[in-house]
Amino acid sequence: MSTMTDTAPVVSATPDAQPVRRQGLRTIFLLALPLVLLAGVIALFVYTQGAGLNVAPAAPIETVQFGRTILRPGEIEMHVRNTSPEAITLAQVNINDAIWPYEAVPSREISRLGSAVVTLRYPWVVGEAYEIGILSSNSIPFAHTIAVAAETPRASAATLWSFTLIGLYVGILPVLLGMLWLPALKQLGAGTMLFLMAATVGLLLYLGLDATAEALEMTSGLGGAFQGVGIVGIGIVGTWLLLDALSRRQRSIGRDEIGQRRSLALVIALGIGLHNLGEGLAIGAAYAVGAATLGTFLVVGFIIQNITEGLGIVVPLAKDRPSLRTLAFLGLIGGAPAIVGAWVGGLVNVQALSVLFLAIGAGAVFQVAYAIGRQMVWNNASARARPMTTFGGVLAGMLVLYLTGVVIK
Amino acid sequence: MKNPSDTDGDAEQTNAIQSDDSRVSRRKFLLAGVGGTGLLGAAALGISSEARAAILGGGAQGPGPYEPPRPGAIGTNSASAHGAMHPMPAVVGEVNHVRNGFNPSEMLVDFDGGKVSTLPNGQTLREYTLVAQNKTIEVVPGVQFAAWTYNGRVPGPTIRVTEGDRVRITHLNASDHPHSLHFHGVHPGSMDGVFDMRSGVVAPGGTYTYDFDAEPFGLHLYHCHTAPLAKHIAKGLYGAFIVDPKVGRPPVDRELVMVMSGYDVDFDGSNDFYMVNGIPFHYDRHPIVLKVGETVRVYLVNVLEYDQSNSFHLHANFFQYYPTGTSLTPSEFTDTVAQMQGQRGILEFSFKHPGRYMFHAHKTEFAELGWTGIFQVDA
Repeated sequence: MSTMTDTAPVVSATPDAQPVRRQGLRTIFLLALPLVLLAGVIALFVYTQGAGLNVAPAAPIETVQFGRTILRPGEIEMHVRNTSPEAITLAQVNINDAIWPYEAVPSREISRLGSAVVTLRYPWVVGEAYEIGILSSNSIPFAHTIAVAAETPRASAATLWSFTLIGLYVGILPVLLGMLWLPALKQLGAGTMLFLMAATVGLLLYLGLDATAEALEMTSGLGGAFQGVGIVGIGIVGTWLLLDALSRRQRSIGRDEIGQRRSLALVIALGIGLHNLGEGLAIGAAYAVGAATLGTFLVVGFIIQNITEGLGIVVPLAKDRPSLRTLAFLGLIGGAPAIVGAWVGGLVNVQALSVLFLAIGAGAVFQVAYAIGRQMVWNNASARARPMTTFGGVLAGMLVLYLTGVVIK
Repeated sequence: MKNPSDTDGDAEQTNAIQSDDSRVSRRKFLLAGVGGTGLLGAAALGISSEARAAILGGGAQGPGPYEPPRPGAIGTNSASAHGAMHPMPAVVGEVNHVRNGFNPSEMLVDFDGGKVSTLPNGQTLREYTLVAQNKTIEVVPGVQFAAWTYNGRVPGPTIRVTEGDRVRITHLNASDHPHSLHFHGVHPGSMDGVFDMRSGVVAPGGTYTYDFDAEPFGLHLYHCHTAPLAKHIAKGLYGAFIVDPKVGRPPVDRELVMVMSGYDVDFDGSNDFYMVNGIPFHYDRHPIVLKVGETVRVYLVNVLEYDQSNSFHLHANFFQYYPTGTSLTPSEFTDTVAQMQGQRGILEFSFKHPGRYMFHAHKTEFAELGWTGIFQVDA
C-alpha cells in the first residue's frame, strides 16, 4: 500500500494534469476494488446464513472479565465487563454456595464490551475467602474469587499519600541511590566499565523478560475481545520503535561525544521510567486490594533490585561531570513514574491498562538494552577486544537479578 | 484461626511469608492483584493456611467489618420485605409461572386421581396419560433450563390411587430421547420401565401402556429409568406416586405434596439450585398459609440427583413421621428427617402458635441455594 501512495507524487510530476487526475481516480478505484468485492463476499455469506456452514453455536459464547472488586463493610462491589461476542444478561448471583440478592448498575443486561457494577449486601468476614458465581440468563457461570477479604482502601488524601510513598520507595529512592555510584565509577578502568555496561544490559534484558512474562500471564484474565497478546505486542514493538526513533534523532542532531553519552543516559532513564510505571501500577493494585502486609516484604525486594537501575542510568556518564541538576532530572525520569503508576494501579486498576503498561515497560527496557549494547559495548573497539568481558557482564547482570530474586522471594 | 492477643503481627507475618512461601515471585505477587482474580490473597499465592493465619492474626486486624445493613435496600426477598434487618439468600426477580405452565403453589395441593372407571371384575381403574417432552423452564428468574418433563412440569403430576386399584398409564414420548416410567411399587418386570421396548422404554415418537395393580399402600415415586439415568432424573423426569390404604388415612385439614430435587443448570454434574416442587425459593417468596391448629399432612419425596442425601427441617414445631408411608403408625416424633435419593415419607403436624416459620433442608447449603420455604401461620 505504501508503494502505491509513494508512486502517486512521481506521476503527478508529469506536465499534463489531466492524466494525473485520471491516474488518481484509477488508483482510488484499484484501492477500493478489493474492498467492494470483500463487502460482496460478506453479504453473500450473511445472506446464505454461513454458506451452508453451521455457524450458530449450540450454546452461546459468553465471557466476562472481573475488574475492580471493592469490599466495604457489609457490601461487596464487583465491576464486571462483558467480553463476549454478544450482549449478556446477568440472572442470579451465588456467593459461597448461597443465592444472594444483588443490584446491577446500570443494568443486568450488559452490551458487548459494556460493563456493570454488581453489588451484594453481604456480611463478609475479614480474612475469609469468598467464591462468587454470577449466572447468566443462559446458565453460563462466571466465577470470581476473593482469596482474602479485606476492606478496600478508598481514594483519599491519605491513600494517595501512601501510594506516593510506595512509588517513592520503589522508584525514586533506589534509582537515586544507584546513581550515587557515579563517583566510584570514575575510578574504574575501561575493562571494568565495559563489564558494568554489559551487566546493565543483562539487568535490563532480565527485567524486560520478567515484564513480558507477567504481561502475557495477565492477558489470560482479559476477555478475548481485548486480545491481550496483541496489547503486549503493540506495547513492546511500539515502545521499542519510538525510543529507537528518538535516540536516532538525538544522534542525527550531531552532538559531540559527551552530548551523545548524555542522550544515551536520558534514553536509559526514560526506558527505566516507563518500566517503573508498570511496576508502580502493579504494586499499587496489589496494595489496593488489602495486601499491604504481603507488599511490605516484597517492596524491600523491589528496592534492592531497582538500585541497579540507578547504576544503569549513570554508567554512560562515568567519564563526564554531569551537574547535580542533570542527575536529579535523570533520577526523576527513571523513578517518578512509579508514583504515577502506584496511583493509577491503586485507585483505578484497569486490567487492560496494566497489561499495556507492562508491555510498554518491557519494550522500553529491551530497547535501552539494545541501545547500550550497540553504543557502548559492541560498537566499541576496546569492547571488541574483550569479548569475554561482555559475555561475563551480561550474564552477571542477569544473575544478579535472578539471585536476588531467589533470596528475597 | 485468629489470635487477637498477637500484637507482634508484622514480624510474624514477614517470617511466615519467608519461611512458608518460597513460591511467591516478585511478579506473581502483583499478578494476583492486577490480574483476573481481581483480589490478591494469600491463598492465591500458595501460602499455607498457617502462614495465612499468621498474616491475618496481626493485631492491626480489627473484628469483622460486618454491620447490619440498611433494610430493604437491595433485593426482593420476603424477609427484607417484612422489615428483617439482615440480608438473606434469595433470587432477584420473579419466575414467569404462566410461561412455565405450572406453579408450585398449585402443585402443592394438586393430586391427580386419573380418569376413574370400574372394571368388569369390580376393580377400580385409574387411567393416566404421561407425555415425555422437552421443555425450557425458567427455573429461577432469568435462567432458562432445557428440562425434560412429564406433561410439561417438574416434578411430573402427583399420581394418587388407592391400594388395589388398577393403574393404567399411557406413556407417550414426544421428545427426542428414549424415556420410560419406572414406578416404585410391586409390579411385573414388563411394567418396570428399564431395559427395552418390552419393559416400557419408549423410543421418540413411541408409546407404551403401563398396567398394574397399585400395591403396597404408601408414598412412592416414579421416574424415568433410561440411561444415562442421572441425566434423565436431573433433567426433571420424576414425580410422586401416592397409594392410599384401603381404609384411608385419618382425615386432616390440609394435604400437601413436596418433591425435593435440584437443577444442574451448567451441566457440571453438581446442582446449582435446590427446591421443592420445581422452583427454587418459591415458598420463600410465596409462603404457604396455614391456620393455628390446622392439621397438616405432607407427602415428602426426595429425588435429588448428584447429592448423597436431602433433608427436611420444620421450624418451631415437631411432626410425626411415617417412613415410606407404609404404616399407619408413625415411627418418630421429630423436627428433622433425612432422606436418600428415592426415600420418602409422610409428615403430620399442626402449628400451636401463629407466626412465620421456615421449613428447609437442614443441609443449609441446599437451603441457601433454594430449598427453603415459609409456613405463614395465621391465628
